[in-house]
This record gives sequence, C-alpha cells and structure tokens, in this order.
Amino acid sequence: MSTYYERHPGLRLTGVEDEGIVLQLDTRRYFSVNESGFVILEALREPKTADELVEVLRSEYDVDPEHARASILRFLTSCQGSELVVRVDAARAIA
Amino acid sequence: MAAGAAIRIQCAEHVVRARLQAWADALRLNTGVPVVLDVAVGEPVEVETGGAVFRQPGVAIHYGALGSTGGVCVQWESARAAATLEPGRTTARVTLSPAAVCRLDECASSFLSAVLILLLRRAGWHHLHGGIAQDPAGRGWLIAGDQGGGKSTTTALLATSGWRVGNDDIVFLNAGTAGRVTLAAARTPIALRDPVRARFAAQGRPLPARGKFVYWPEELGSRWIDRIEPDVIAFVSVGGERTTHATPITARQATARLIRSSAWVMLEPGLAQEHLDLLGRLARQVRSYRIRLAEDIFAAPERLQELIA
Repeated sequence: MSTYYERHPGLRLTGVEDEGIVLQLDTRRYFSVNESGFVILEALREPKTADELVEVLRSEYDVDPEHARASILRFLTSCQGSELVVRVDAARAIA
Repeated sequence: MAAGAAIRIQCAEHVVRARLQAWADALRLNTGVPVVLDVAVGEPVEVETGGAVFRQPGVAIHYGALGSTGGVCVQWESARAAATLEPGRTTARVTLSPAAVCRLDECASSFLSAVLILLLRRAGWHHLHGGIAQDPAGRGWLIAGDQGGGKSTTTALLATSGWRVGNDDIVFLNAGTAGRVTLAAARTPIALRDPVRARFAAQGRPLPARGKFVYWPEELGSRWIDRIEPDVIAFVSVGGERTTHATPITARQATARLIRSSAWVMLEPGLAQEHLDLLGRLARQVRSYRIRLAEDIFAAPERLQELIA
C-alpha cells in the first residue's frame, strides 16, 4: 500500500512572492521554501501519496514525472526531518 | 471611542482598579475591540499548566494549558500573580497576591503587559517588536531589527527631525481596512541607554530598572502618532562603515526578519496562522530595507528618508 503524507499539525504556512514561509510551532523554528515546495506543502493540507504529488506538480509545471518524483521524495524526507510533514496511516488517509 | 476605552479593568478593590485603569488609559491603545482584565486580589490558585511554555522577562506563559480547553495561563515570577485566558475570549481572569499589589507599577509593565498582548491578539492585534514613525512626506515607517540594533536611537533621531513617532519597542499589527495592514503604537516612551542618550539635548528621565533614560516624543521635538499604514520597513543594525546605507531586501526576506521580531507568532496554534499571514501581507505591502547605521546619521537623520527616496 502506498505511503501517504500530510502536514505536521504544528505547521503554519504563508505565501510570499510565490514562495513560502513555514513556521513549526512545536519546535519554534521557521523555514523558507521555494515555489515548488510551497505548492507541495499547500497540497498536503490533505493526505497525499508521492504519486499524487507528482500529478499536482505536473499540473503546475512542465516536468518529467520521474524527475519530479525523485525531487518530491527528497523534499518529503527533508520535511520529515524538520517535522514539517508526517507519514499518515493509509487507512486514516483513505477514510 | 475615548482614548484608552478599549482596555477595561474590573476589580472590587477600588484603589487597585483606579491605578490599573490609569495605566491602561495611559497606553492610549484604541483598537476598537474592548478587552477586559478582570482582577481579583488574593493568593492565586494553582492551575493545571500543561502544554508548552513561552518565557518573557519575568513572565512564564503556558499555552495549551487549562486542561482540555487549550487556554493560556500566565504567571509572574517576581511576586505571585497569575492570569487565565480561555480560548477566543477577550477577558482575562487575573489574580494578584498582596505582594504583587505592593509592586503594582512593575506588575503592570511586566506581567499585565504580557496578558494584554495575549488579549489584544484575540482581538486581531498582533504584537511586533519595533517602532513606528511617519516621515514629512506622510509615509509610514516600521523601524525593526534585532535587540541592540539601534531601533530606539533611530526612532529618537527621527523624532528630532520633523518626523512623527509612536514608540520604539512595541507595536501591534492588524488586518486594517481596504486590505492595508495597520500598525498601532502604545503610548510608551522611547528608552535610550548611555552613551547614546548624551547625544540628545533633552534630559529625559531615568528608568533604573532598565538602566535607561526615557523620553516622550514631544520632549524630542516630535508629535506622537498612534498608528500608521506602513509603506517602508527599515531593519536597522549598527554597522562599522563610515556612512549609513540602505540595501533593499525581498518580501520573503522581510517576512523572515519580521518573524524574528514577532516571537509571539509561535504561541497559540489557533492564532498563529492569522499572525503569520499578517506578517506576510505586511512584507508584501511595503518596501523593505536593511539599514546599516553609521556615525553620520547623528548629524543628518534625514539621510534615512533620502536613502530610500
């Protein structure tokens, strides 16, 4: 079964100049993300798989699917390390 | 609405009520939304203070506290005093011990100011460290920057140069009208340390608790301004160069710097998004500059306006 991701409950996000400023309320840290990172974090208001995120990015940019998937997985790994994104139980994500 | 009427003090002890209402009125914060400090004198009852803790000098703020309600509990550390704020309510229940009442001025400027910041946030006014000013052309300025970066010196210099100024340290931002973010200043004096204060002709009054001297804008030749719609943000710092210079920065860079000046954005998850969005809107609304202050600014404070003309 695919892995689902969503925003960490402590994340707050605002858009500035097509990019994003992210707060992590639990760790009291803040980050900036580029345009595609902002699109991904916006999309993760609801749980999504990496493949679904590829489609989100491809709806915004002309990008090769395999390249997009690799970039998304790197971004998700980085975001998990900073507690910006969490994995979601698939049953809960689908429900 | 009369100046100061937006902050109401309730207390059965008439002397305490009168002194605290005078303190609140003197701030002249007219946000248009009434907030209430419901004060009782007695020993504060211990409350469940789970959740995260945010510390300000002498004050501990427990948020996500009050059991399952997710409210906030504020405790003063200099004498026993506590306040509880339920989610969404613009009334704080405050208990001051007799020892705290004996130090009422200090209690107000430290503990009750923190409670007030939380109440105003519930009313849509979010705290930001910085000063406000209006240049002779009518443009609104936010003077921001890290502690010790020269916010107070800059504000005081502008006050001597025909600008109107609010204060140098605490402002509140609000969604405003017609899509323009508004900044409001409490009526608090500008505070300068030695040796900078010696550069000003006005004498000021000593504030031993902070090791500073304080000045009202009028004492520096200015007129107080209670709010602005900002056009410019100056993030000031003291540089080693010979002349003051300004470097434009992007809205994203400005937002990140504003977060550093607005630590309360991290409190109370239910209000954090509104606060963050306002910081982002403010950064998009203005032109932002990193200003490195040098000695020349003392002789020609108007240079600040020329730099970003």
